[in-house]
Order: sequence, then C-alpha cells, then structure tokens
Amino acid sequence: MRYPFPVGKSDFIQGDEAIARAAILAGCRFYAGYPITPASEIFEAMALYMPLVDGVSIQMEDEIASIAAIIGASWAGAKAMTATSGPGFSLMMENLGYAIMTETPIVVVDVQRGGPSTGQPTLAAQGDIMQAIWGTHGDHMLIVLSPSTVQEAFDFTIRAFNLAEKYRTPVVLLTDAEIAHMRERVYIPSPEEIELVERKLPASEEEAKLPFGDPHGDGVPPMPIFGRGYRTYVTGLTHDERGRPRTVDAEVHEKLITRIFRKILDHKDEIISYEEFMLDDADVAIVSTGIVSRSAIRAVKILRERGVKAGMVKINTIWPFDFDYIEQLAERVGKIYVPEMNLGQLYHLVKEGANGKAEVELIAKIGGEVHTPMEIVERVVG
Amino acid sequence: MMQIRLAGIGGQGVVLAGVILGEAAAIEGLNVLQTQDYSSASRGGHSIADVIISKEPIYDVMVTRADVLVALHQLGYDTVKDELREDGLLIIDTDLVKPDREYVGAPFTRIAEETTGLALTVNMVALGYLVAKTGVVKKESVEEAIRRRVPKGTEEINIKAFMAGYEEGLK
Repeated sequence: MRYPFPVGKSDFIQGDEAIARAAILAGCRFYAGYPITPASEIFEAMALYMPLVDGVSIQMEDEIASIAAIIGASWAGAKAMTATSGPGFSLMMENLGYAIMTETPIVVVDVQRGGPSTGQPTLAAQGDIMQAIWGTHGDHMLIVLSPSTVQEAFDFTIRAFNLAEKYRTPVVLLTDAEIAHMRERVYIPSPEEIELVERKLPASEEEAKLPFGDPHGDGVPPMPIFGRGYRTYVTGLTHDERGRPRTVDAEVHEKLITRIFRKILDHKDEIISYEEFMLDDADVAIVSTGIVSRSAIRAVKILRERGVKAGMVKINTIWPFDFDYIEQLAERVGKIYVPEMNLGQLYHLVKEGANGKAEVELIAKIGGEVHTPMEIVERVVG
Repeated sequence: MMQIRLAGIGGQGVVLAGVILGEAAAIEGLNVLQTQDYSSASRGGHSIADVIISKEPIYDVMVTRADVLVALHQLGYDTVKDELREDGLLIIDTDLVKPDREYVGAPFTRIAEETTGLALTVNMVALGYLVAKTGVVKKESVEEAIRRRVPKGTEEINIKAFMAGYEEGLK
C-alpha cells in the first residue's frame, strides 16, 4: 500500500491535516462532509487523498446528509468519518443519536469555534463539550476524545477509529480551531507501527441473525455487513436482538439501552485516558482538556517556581468521564481549578466528580483566545 | 526556546515565511509550533505569523513575549510592537517601518525587487536576514523547506531572494 504522504517520519503540519492523515492510516475509506471553517482543511485533505487510496470523499448537500452517508458507508463495511464545526455539529445531532441506537461505528470530528450559531468562525472555543456528550436526545452513551496538540490530534484520531470499531459506537473527536490551524512537528508512523482494531463480524449464521444481541457477553454484538450474505434490519426505533422494531415493550427497550451503556461503561478503564503533571505532592490541582491544557502546564511550572504546590490533569477522554478519579483527586488536594474556553462545561463534570471533597473553581474565558499561563496563575495565587 | 513573530500586511507572504521557518526547524528535529493571525482581507490587513522553536516540548500556543520581531510594514509593527521583549531583536524593512526603538534591518522590499524583480519575494529576503542574524536554524534547512513549500517552478527564485537577505544579514 502506497500512501499519498510520507510515513515513518516526522512532518510539519496543521491539526486538520494530521486528522485526515490519521484517518487514512486508520483505514478510513469513506469521508462525507460539508465545508465549514475551521474544519474545511480536513475535507480538502480527504478530497485529495481518498482517490489515491481507493477510497471515497464526497461533498453532501449539508451536514445532516454527511453523517447519514457515513452511517450507511459503515453498514456497507467501510470505516467512515465526517468533520464539521459547531453549526454543522448541531445539524448532526439527530443522526448521531441514530448511529448510537443502531450501534454504528463512525468517527465525527467537531472542530470547535465560537458559538452559539455561526458565532466566531475562525476562532477557537470549547463550547461544545456538553453538546458532544448530551447533544442528541434520549438516554445514550458514546465516546468523546479531546486532543491538545497536533500530535495528539493524529494519535487520538487513530484511537477514535479503534474505539468506534471495538465498541460499535460513534466516537466524537472534539478539537478546536486553534489546534486545527496550528502547525507542529508530528511523527506520522508507518502502518506497521500502528495497531488497528477491526469490528467484530458474525462468526456464524446464528450470530448474524442477532445483530443487536450480546453473544459474547461483552455487550458488543458482531456487525453483519450489507451485501455479505445476511438479511439485516437496521432501525432507529427500539428493536429486539434481531433488529425488529418493538416500540412498546418496556423490557426490550430497557435491555437495549442498558446494553448500549454497559458496552462502554464496563470497559471504561480501557477507554478513559488522562495524564497527570506534578500532582504527587500537590495541594492545588488544575483540571483541563484540549488546547487549554498547554497553558495549564505552563501555569503549573510558573506556580511551582513561586512555591505553590500545584499540579494538573489533562483529560484526554471527556466521555465517559472518570468521576471516581476526580473524587480521589479532590481528596488529595484542597482546591481544583478548571480553566476552559467557555462559561463552564467541564467545570460541571469536575464539580460532580469532586463530590464536595474539594472546592472547584471555574476559570472561564470566551472570545477566541486561549488562556495565557499568567491568567491561570493569577487566579490561583489570587 | 526562541519566540519569533513576523508581522506585516496581507500579500507580503508573512505566513508562508513563518511556515518555511517552522518547517526548517522541524527538518532539524527541533520542536516547533507555528500559528497565524490575519484579518479577513486577503491584501492590506495585518498579517502575523508566530513561530516558537525549542529543544524542549512547547506548551505555548502563541508568541506572548517575542525574542525576535520581524516587521515588514508599519501596520504590522504597530499591531504587535508591545509584545517584543525589552531586550528583544527588532528586524525591520527600513523603507517601510519607522520604529520607536533600537532595530536592525535593511530595505527588504527594495532588495527583493532588485534581486528577483518581484516585490513579493520580500518574505524570503526577510527570512534570510532573520536566519543570518539569529542562527536559529541552518540556511541549508531553510533551502530544503523552501523547496518543499513554495509553488513548483518558483523554488530557485525564492532561494535567490532568501540568499540575498542572508548575505545582507551577514554584513
């Protein structure tokens, strides 16, 4: 396999470009999208690369159709992705729920910009955290990852595909305009360096008849692929293990939805990822995610120079969220600060996790600029 | 760590100069981050490229206290001059920028016109001057980066402009 970009070496590229290359290396062969700042460069790269790897990149009429197309492509056996920003992400909410309900592995990239509505197209924000988790209606579960560097944008995209395939679920890669457009030195591994996960396929006719069952007890049913010999019924309506609509049976509904929760929450130790910095003896903790984590790390270093025992946690998996870990953290430190580029979203998760064991304070910033390290330092030292 | 900010107006190729400088650093295996800020006008508005180069991991997301400021136009200079460190290095196009502090520089746009016949190669002239004055990357790395990043067929003219600026910077 020849790749349309250098592999096994470092390159100097933007976050959007890194996401596109990672998707290609993860085996994505179907991309559908609608252009939007600051995610358009992902589409541009996919339009360039896909024909060269025998894949498909297609411009749909809008974002509703874009996510619909990748759901269909996934059922046809392709690893599939779309990318958008706030306004398009809002349009995708209904079909994101459909992908959850039909247990369709897809990757949806949301490059956050200032909102609501068309807001600030060129500027970064973290205002879609709650939307990524709870934007679609009904009880549901999915996975949300959040990179803080261009390298992580690459690495987490690969991981997003692996998690989507492994747990037969949509995965949202939640990044922002700053990472999308900044260039950093990134290592692009060669294919043999990358561990890829492929979805479970039915091992027998019996398994193929139960595309929404749980034959392995891990909550993840094998996924029959259209055109490979099995008749499969896929619906957003509440359905039984065979996929047939059963919309008024409480037991069927509860069994289906709790399994969709269980298949992710039972494996949350594997899905959840965070990184600690200088936390061992800390009595003040900063909890952040994405681009702001970079300023938070600098802030911790400055605070240490000033004699403040500060540490920080960078949250890589926003959802499922590790509430237990935050409670343990709260027991270790007296105070937790949450800097984020919105008026309080991650803050609410951290506060719930802290469970009253530590004071939690929000350091909110909106308007498009990332917190400077000093803005965080000044809040911590008062 | 070195924080470098390039400032000018749209059309001067400021962002491309930043990308090429960043690429040169990446070629040398250094950690590097490059971001840009420009007005929505494709020509005439301010245009800024930030490049941070370091042997250590880079956590900054933009230049906050520039070690070097390259100003190719008065508008760009006025927009960002306060972010240059007090003892930082100011490099200017001496025909186009009237600074209110100590500086080095040359008439980059004029040198570009005289060397290549194209004022728009001013970005490469300024980049050459910057590299000669600071030694932040090797000139060979920049030549390689230019070959990778400029439109096909314009490599030699861009390298010629870069070398003119480099020679000027060695004076």
